[in-house]
Amino acid sequence: MQTLKRNILAVPILVWLGLFVGIPLVFVFVLSFLSRDSLGTIVFQFTWENWQRVFDPIYLRVFRNSLLLAFLTGLVTIVVGYPVAYITSNLEPKKRALSIGLIMLPFWISSLLRTYGWMILLGNAGIINNVLRALGIIDKPLPMMYKFGTTLVGTAYMLIPFAIVAIFNSVDKLDRSLLEASYDLGANKRQTFFNITLPLTLPGIAGGFTLVFIPALGLFYVSDLLGGGNTIFLGNMINTQVTRGRNRPLAAAFSIAMIAVVLLVISIYGRIAKDDAEGLFL
Amino acid sequence: MKQPLLSLVNINKYFGDFHVLKDISFDIEQGEFLTLLGPSGCGKTTLLRCIAGLESIHSGDILLNGSSIKDMAPNKRNVNTVFQNYALFPHLNVYDNIAYGPRVKKSMTEAELKERAANVLELVQMLGYEKRMPHQLSGGQRQRIAIARALINEPAILLLDEPLGALDLKLRKHMQTELAQLQKKTGTTFVYVTHDQEEALNMSDRIVVIDQGEVQQLGSPRDIYNNPVNLFVTTFIGDRNMMRVRVLETEATHSLVQFGENVVSIRNSGQHQLEVGREAVLAVHMDKMRVSCHEQPNALVGEVLSVHYSGSQIRIRVKVADRQITVVEYQKIDCECEKGDQVYVTWEDHGAILLPPEDGWAEGEV
Repeated sequence: MQTLKRNILAVPILVWLGLFVGIPLVFVFVLSFLSRDSLGTIVFQFTWENWQRVFDPIYLRVFRNSLLLAFLTGLVTIVVGYPVAYITSNLEPKKRALSIGLIMLPFWISSLLRTYGWMILLGNAGIINNVLRALGIIDKPLPMMYKFGTTLVGTAYMLIPFAIVAIFNSVDKLDRSLLEASYDLGANKRQTFFNITLPLTLPGIAGGFTLVFIPALGLFYVSDLLGGGNTIFLGNMINTQVTRGRNRPLAAAFSIAMIAVVLLVISIYGRIAKDDAEGLFL
Repeated sequence: MKQPLLSLVNINKYFGDFHVLKDISFDIEQGEFLTLLGPSGCGKTTLLRCIAGLESIHSGDILLNGSSIKDMAPNKRNVNTVFQNYALFPHLNVYDNIAYGPRVKKSMTEAELKERAANVLELVQMLGYEKRMPHQLSGGQRQRIAIARALINEPAILLLDEPLGALDLKLRKHMQTELAQLQKKTGTTFVYVTHDQEEALNMSDRIVVIDQGEVQQLGSPRDIYNNPVNLFVTTFIGDRNMMRVRVLETEATHSLVQFGENVVSIRNSGQHQLEVGREAVLAVHMDKMRVSCHEQPNALVGEVLSVHYSGSQIRIRVKVADRQITVVEYQKIDCECEKGDQVYVTWEDHGAILLPPEDGWAEGEV
């Protein structure tokens, strides 16, 4: 009774989550075991077929593609984002606010438009190729579009603010006297970074990686536009099955499988960040 | 002449427009326990950080064994710091914390390190705690580990930045004794920063009193306690009654001064020139004063305002010439005085000092 009273304020959000997340999730789960007719209409007949297809080697490659993309995106955003976060947290307050503002600024523009921006930049008749040709450095345009790498660049660009903010919070909390103690005891800057800064900001790195990895697993428009559908990822797969494929039960099975992967990643993150009181999710 | 271990030569330091350290010069001798004492914001911690290399200086020089270290990075200087919040690495256990210095400098083999670590842990009485994490230790234990972590590097100077500030009173007293013993045992030169006069007086061989970025006085604890050179040191060190008096006559060893209706004889400290007919400040240690009901020579006559018993000491407030004086007695007083009684306040000769008044000094209740 006491706990109920104390948690009364959480009731609205729990009702909201139950209605709009919990129940639909149950629908999707049930849907993944149902059949469909040739027109795509759901038939209430139990089947394992969708799940068998999920574990089909052909479709497992889709998982592999997506996991690879999400992992590399996480890696790239951490490697590029760490210095940005580190430098930002060491700025004086005014410049720091400006820097964080600039990092967040792209969020004010539709992500679809920003993806088209990359096409204008990287295309065969795009800005980079035009400039290089005008300068006489190349004769034929460099083929930069519709590759796995193109998708990686686009996804990393889209998600890097999450990594920067997560690492920033971690670096910002770092007690600077620990760095001074390290120098004082005879360590140089490199030793201090690898022995003190990096291990103590690991929760931020893990948090940033998780925050990037999860959406990277499901993004579909970036790989559609920049990857040209040459590599099939989970997001594209689900999108195609729902729209053109008219196979919502199969899409449901893939969705549930993807959620399982996400939960796995979160549980790994939870282990890494368990000593950090201000975790991302708990 | 013997070369000092560390020489500070005309050090100036600014934070923006703020002049934090003003032309500071003094020497630190091999093996001494030197304390930088001053109120918060006086620049003592900044000075310590300049010696450690964590702050740069704008002009002047720092000489360690005769050679300049002012442009040397902190990791190259043979000095180590015990930080105010200890700054133990939270992700490393006690052993790895202590091993950090030797490991990053690759100054000893793991076997040597193990032996040295055991030595310093024994020194700070923390053997057996190697596997503990810093958050599993109490404040006092962290303190010891921070000292051990610094001492294993065998620094020429150990810098301690208010290391006892975060501990409770009882533990602080205990650690004072222990630190002083540790310093004698290891023979390491300690430079200790504190705002606590009692700590400074208890532990140090010499004290540097600093205020507003300037050295006010440098001397032995006894010297500073008994012969403060100016009003700042007089008010900062020791609990004194401060009285504005008029100088009537000066002789070879003593001067006659007038305080209200009272005329008393005070020893000359020899440091100050007092002018006859001018005002001066008479400062007397509260615990060097006595209260008597019977007429005494060379005494201030006053009326008892209150008597407080607190443990071994008795605090008596006496009104003399419209000013309030506090007397702290440790022995049994020679008469049971009560509020309203007329009493005679005397003092030990060396407990009183006469100083010239300074601008802006107001006679306040101490």
